[in-house]
Amino acid sequence: MDVTADASRGLDLSRLVEFGKSVYSLVILLVLWEVVGQLGLIHYYFLPPLSDILIRFAELTLSGEMLFNAYLTLQRALIGLAIASVLGVIVGVLSARNDIVDWFFDPIIKIGYPVPIISLIPVFMLWFGIGDISKIIMVAVGTFWPVAVNARESTRQVETNLIWSAQMMGTSDRRLLWRVVMPAALPGILTGFQIAMPLSLIITFVFEMVAGGGGLGALEIQGVRSFESAQVYAAIIAIMLIGIGLDRILRFVRGRLLHWT
Amino acid sequence: MDGRVTISGLEKVYGQGAERTKAIEDLNFEVDGGEFVSVVGPSGCGKSTLLYLIAGFLDATEGTISVDGDPINGPGTDRGVVFQDYALFPWRTVYENVTYGLEEDGVPKDERQNIAQKYIDMVDLDGFEDKYPKELSGGMKQRVGIARTLAYEPKILLMDEPFGALDQPLRESLQDQLLDIWSDLGKTALFITHDVEEAVYLSERVLIMTRHPGTKKTVAEIDLDRSGSREEIVTSDDFAHFKNDVWKSLHEETQTEVTL
Ligand SMILES: Nc1ncnc2c1ncn2[C@@H]1O[C@H](COP(=O)(O)OP(=O)(O)O)[C@@H](O)[C@H]1O
Ligand SMILES: [Mg+2]
Repeated sequence: MDVTADASRGLDLSRLVEFGKSVYSLVILLVLWEVVGQLGLIHYYFLPPLSDILIRFAELTLSGEMLFNAYLTLQRALIGLAIASVLGVIVGVLSARNDIVDWFFDPIIKIGYPVPIISLIPVFMLWFGIGDISKIIMVAVGTFWPVAVNARESTRQVETNLIWSAQMMGTSDRRLLWRVVMPAALPGILTGFQIAMPLSLIITFVFEMVAGGGGLGALEIQGVRSFESAQVYAAIIAIMLIGIGLDRILRFVRGRLLHWT
Repeated sequence: MDGRVTISGLEKVYGQGAERTKAIEDLNFEVDGGEFVSVVGPSGCGKSTLLYLIAGFLDATEGTISVDGDPINGPGTDRGVVFQDYALFPWRTVYENVTYGLEEDGVPKDERQNIAQKYIDMVDLDGFEDKYPKELSGGMKQRVGIARTLAYEPKILLMDEPFGALDQPLRESLQDQLLDIWSDLGKTALFITHDVEEAVYLSERVLIMTRHPGTKKTVAEIDLDRSGSREEIVTSDDFAHFKNDVWKSLHEETQTEVTL
């Protein structure tokens, strides 16, 4: 028994080494960062040592400030993204399946998709103010395009043979959408979500920097204004962690839903 | 017997203006209920078009197609297609692909199970029920395609070069399986192929089509004694004779194409 326990520990250790090797350039950079900061080679205001940032990060987390701001940012981003996902999939799938819907939405998508959405933040502030609603609408508008475009494209590419197969086996035109079109287009639809997710964080973050009202973007800009550079970097670490975490979740969901691909 | 297909004055034009293509021109033909008919013709002569018109996937430009006297109106479960590229639902397992038509028909679950198992066994796929199409070879996918179509029990089987992508030994074994199934279940079969030997081996009649735009050139009656083994059949003089007939007729069409 001891032998097997040892063996498995040995395995874990070698895994750890493997992981270390895969990120060693990152580790070197982080160590360099700490050394440069400690030696005062770069002014503290520009780049505090890594340890100071991590301490500030821990402080903000323990005081609840970080979690509350992260919650505000996440909530705005995810509600906006959810609205965009529902509307984007409906518009995308329907315009791929129906000429009249496409006739209406195609020009709108052509014009809307390439607009650098961040540039519209002031307009949203004029129209909807600087509160949560304004931010959520902004996220929904901004992330609608990649969701709709990917849903439309993947629906268009559903093989005719699959639709014919379902029709010959008795699927009515109305049920076709659920039985064949949606499952067949699902990979592309999920790709749309994966593109929209980081965008939802970017939009929320920038809007918070510009308009305040709490959230990680506001926390970061507030750090700049009060000469608290450690807080600036702590906020960046938080948004990075959220971004990575959400990406992992989406990948996991994708793997689960698309195990047949 | 049920499952008679009557094609009269059939014409199919694709596209409009400069892109207008007449794929089928004035085609008249009848397949009897329970009969096995193959269709051969130069590539691009409209074989697939004809099959999809009968399936109801495409609308005829002129003329009518009737099943047992009733003009068809779109796809229906009285006809089942086996596609060359299988067209299985990749998100469904073998079992779920085979039960799809039964689900649509509202067949209860345990009954679905029995029927599906019968056809999965028939095409020698027991043990593969829970596999997804991506895990199967081409020959296995095509057997799923056949089982799926048989399972909802259409009277008429429409097959578009179903074995075209498979290698010779596999083709031959699937041909024999198909013949067994056909004679057991008593279905009407319309089988498209570019392989003359396959057409003669399988069918009671072979419809030879002209080159583009396609119509009926001739119909060859294949009056073969099929009581023996495959080897006895394909090495018989009769078989060679019918094969020559069909080949010559087909060759005339491809020749004209080349000299033009
Ligand atoms: N969807 C389509 N649109 C326009 N032309 C088509 C279409 N499908 C087939 N055709 C044309 O119709 C003719 C017959 O095609 P097809 O039925 O596929 O022939 P075959 O199966 O005998 O090779 C060809 O000239 C082909 O180019
Ligand atoms: Mg074809």
